[in-house]
Amino acid sequence: MTKQQANWSPYDNNGGTCVAIAGADYCVIAADTRMSSGYNILTRDYSKIIQLADKSVMASSGFQADVRALQKVLASRHLLYQHQHNKQMSCPAMAQLLSNTLYYKRFFPYYAFNVLGGLDNEGKGCVFTYDAVGSYERVGYSSQGSGSTLITPFLDNQLKSPSPLLLPAKDAVTPLSEAEAIDLVKTCFASATERDIYTGDKLEIIVLNASGIRQEYMELRKD
Amino acid sequence: MSIFEYNGCALVAMVGKNCFAIASDRRLGVQLQTIATDFQKIYKIHEKLFIGLSGLATDAQTLYQRLVFRHKLYELREERDMKPETFASLVSALLYEKRFGPYFCQPVIAGLGDEDKPFICTMDSIGAKELAKDFVVAGTASESLYGACESMFKPDMEPEELFETISQALLSSVDRDCLSGWGGHVYVVTPTEVTERILKGRMD
Repeated sequence: MTKQQANWSPYDNNGGTCVAIAGADYCVIAADTRMSSGYNILTRDYSKIIQLADKSVMASSGFQADVRALQKVLASRHLLYQHQHNKQMSCPAMAQLLSNTLYYKRFFPYYAFNVLGGLDNEGKGCVFTYDAVGSYERVGYSSQGSGSTLITPFLDNQLKSPSPLLLPAKDAVTPLSEAEAIDLVKTCFASATERDIYTGDKLEIIVLNASGIRQEYMELRKD
Repeated sequence: MSIFEYNGCALVAMVGKNCFAIASDRRLGVQLQTIATDFQKIYKIHEKLFIGLSGLATDAQTLYQRLVFRHKLYELREERDMKPETFASLVSALLYEKRFGPYFCQPVIAGLGDEDKPFICTMDSIGAKELAKDFVVAGTASESLYGACESMFKPDMEPEELFETISQALLSSVDRDCLSGWGGHVYVVTPTEVTERILKGRMD
């Protein structure tokens, strides 16, 4: 008599890829806009990126229903913080909040693979990368989602900044300029789109720097 | 744990201008333990034909021995070298013979065909051929290799540039794969010469 297995899963994977790169005084956060389920495309125009605070932007791939629920929880907690402290949450503070929020559901996790990007208290770019239950680390760059295995080795090679693979762990920002970093992100997604079926349609790029926040789009292959 | 991930391997072949390059990592492991750091995965069939075999190491070695046997017989009978396209069909046939008890290997074949035109192909473990004009990848690091090659490749590279590109793609990809690494082995083949180089990489 074998143990009965569930024939229904509460989770689904909507695919997609997210990337973030931290610069000396900027941060680039990007994600594709395709939402899939199995071999079907649900929509070509779904944003995986949300601005949580003045200087914090989160991109999440995985199960978008859980991602949306997570975004709502974080937005509401940020509002409370603003009422209590009369200021915006800093990016490192938001990073910790996200970690705690994810671990809170350790035994029924948010199926969300997150990358948090922004500017720290000194105005330097920062990127935090997470697993589904809240383990996180500040890094110079990161990629999550279905195309991450294709993109990460290329970023390791191109960013000329200490990679997360080096010991001792170095807090890193890339010496690349903002324009070069954006170009690199576009190249990454063009390549990932070729080889990953869940990545494509359109690329949404958010750039955070001292002057504020900017949004850019690039068309990707739709097949 | 999949049988294809027992030993660990990274293989890549790229086409350049009248030349090709084929590269592999050097690790032989038994799951998480490293046994050898100079293990050969790319074999020469003749001056202008190379085959790399990824997957289970014992099957790779047995398959190589069978292929060398078949090629030597072919050379005796035909009094010439086998064309890469023909060799690929031979490998495919040998693999499909074992359709219901396969060799756990994924080959990467690279050669110079008629008029020294570069030819590369890969196949799955039961012989389904995939011909490509740019690059082919195989092994435990294949996803990383796809990403790296797709971004770094450009058509019609000269041998020196091709060597640089394939080396960078290989090293960055194996650095993200626990089961492959310990350096690289790169062959760059032109109509006139074969250059073999060892790459130094992360020794982990």
